[in-house]
Amino acid sequence: MLNREVHPVNTKKTNGQYEVLSPWAEADPIPLKELAAPRPADLSGNKIGLLSNAKRAARPISSVVETKLKEKFPTAEFSQYFTLNAVGPPEIETENKAKFEEWIKGVDTVVAAVGD
Amino acid sequence: MALIYRDFIHDARSAASSRGMPGVRTVLETIPSEWTDMDDIEAGITAVIDDIITGLTRPLTDEERSPERKAEKPPRIVFKGNLEEVNRFFYQRGWADGLPIIPPTEEAVAEMLAGTDLPPDHLVARLGPRLGKATVEKIAINAVMAGALPTYMPLLIAGVQALADPAIGPTGLAVSTHSFSPFWIVNGPICKDLNINHSYGALSPGDIANATIGRTMGLITKNIRGVRKGIEDMGVLGNPGRWSMVIAENNEDSPWEPLHVEHGFNKEDSTITLYFVSSYQQILPNGTDDKSILNTLVHYVTPGQGGTFFIMITPTLARPLGSKGWTKQDIKDFTMVRPNPRIPNPVQIFVAGGAGTRLGILSGSPRPIVTKKVELPAEWNKLVAKYKNIVPTYAMY
Repeated sequence: MLNREVHPVNTKKTNGQYEVLSPWAEADPIPLKELAAPRPADLSGNKIGLLSNAKRAARPISSVVETKLKEKFPTAEFSQYFTLNAVGPPEIETENKAKFEEWIKGVDTVVAAVGD
Repeated sequence: MALIYRDFIHDARSAASSRGMPGVRTVLETIPSEWTDMDDIEAGITAVIDDIITGLTRPLTDEERSPERKAEKPPRIVFKGNLEEVNRFFYQRGWADGLPIIPPTEEAVAEMLAGTDLPPDHLVARLGPRLGKATVEKIAINAVMAGALPTYMPLLIAGVQALADPAIGPTGLAVSTHSFSPFWIVNGPICKDLNINHSYGALSPGDIANATIGRTMGLITKNIRGVRKGIEDMGVLGNPGRWSMVIAENNEDSPWEPLHVEHGFNKEDSTITLYFVSSYQQILPNGTDDKSILNTLVHYVTPGQGGTFFIMITPTLARPLGSKGWTKQDIKDFTMVRPNPRIPNPVQIFVAGGAGTRLGILSGSPRPIVTKKVELPAEWNKLVAKYKNIVPTYAMY
């Protein structure tokens, strides 16, 4: 048996009505990044980047995507990039930033497999 | 363009939006998280290869090229109604955890704010992934909902600082498919001030501090961090520890230095330590002499060498270890027979539990633990005197 019958924090009510405050936090608007690079009209002859994170389904997914795209676009080239991260910050915010940016510059478009 | 398992679409959208890229294209596939069956992977990708090609080649729309964010300015007063209506409203807005809440009225929140000298609009941290502003008032509102007492505010503020620590990552392990549960260990004089249980059944329900401090942090995770189950939190199995896993260390009956002293704080400091737990098991050691206790630990801890462990030792079992000269470091070295070089300091030890012969092993994330010092308000002793006597008095039968 509790030694007080009501909760100790003041929940004074008026005619059984409670006027309550929002628990949902405000958040500053996150600066939006524009998607500036135009999409290729045809993948033939393009260099397609395949980005995989450390989730174990990611690399097999990228490999199958590469195989399937090769069948349809035999002149396309492919470049795979693997991160060692699954739940951490994006690659561009890690010590691999320069390496990742160099890879991005070398491809025309990217398919990301995150394994989830 | 990202390939996303179909159940993770909300998670993917929230993640892209929180990175300022709501226009990123996604193709939904049918390959569950972590799946390894190559036939299924092949079939899953074959089914969407045309969507992938379209996603890569379709010209960008104006909306994708230059997305606009709708300004969000939630009203401060959100609802008026009776107890049942308030509870239903909060639950249906996705702001509650399934248990009834205390209505966070102006008066209740004002009383909660008495637990800190910080002004209500003081920004303690921005909590990812949503980067919600954890102001003192928002912490207090969620604390009222959870049924916390005003004296818990300093600890809750330090807990929010722990959640914001970069060491635990931008999403703080709250969204993982692995369903980690925050485990909070409190050290120092505040444990007695708040009646945080470290003894019999400390990890069971029944103590207002142990129950509502963890519950508040869970509501903060939902309402400030913006991590909702099945939306951003893609924990596959879930974890009952997320209701509340809060414990004090029993420093008086421990032969060793307290956890927070090990991590550089003074014994007189009050601190809160955050660790992310996957699972918890209770072990009966083979015997109560030092060798039997330690050999039992090795037997149970060894299979999980890839992760980290918190070992909870009752004061009863700590005594024979201490009297035989085993330090915490000796026990850590003895226990980790195959240390993982990628995980420094994988074992932590603390003393808690009733007078009995059980060991608790909490296994969890390889991320380092985070400890924050609790800052108390000027009128702390007066506050403690006001709320400290709120304890259960059980009728005997």
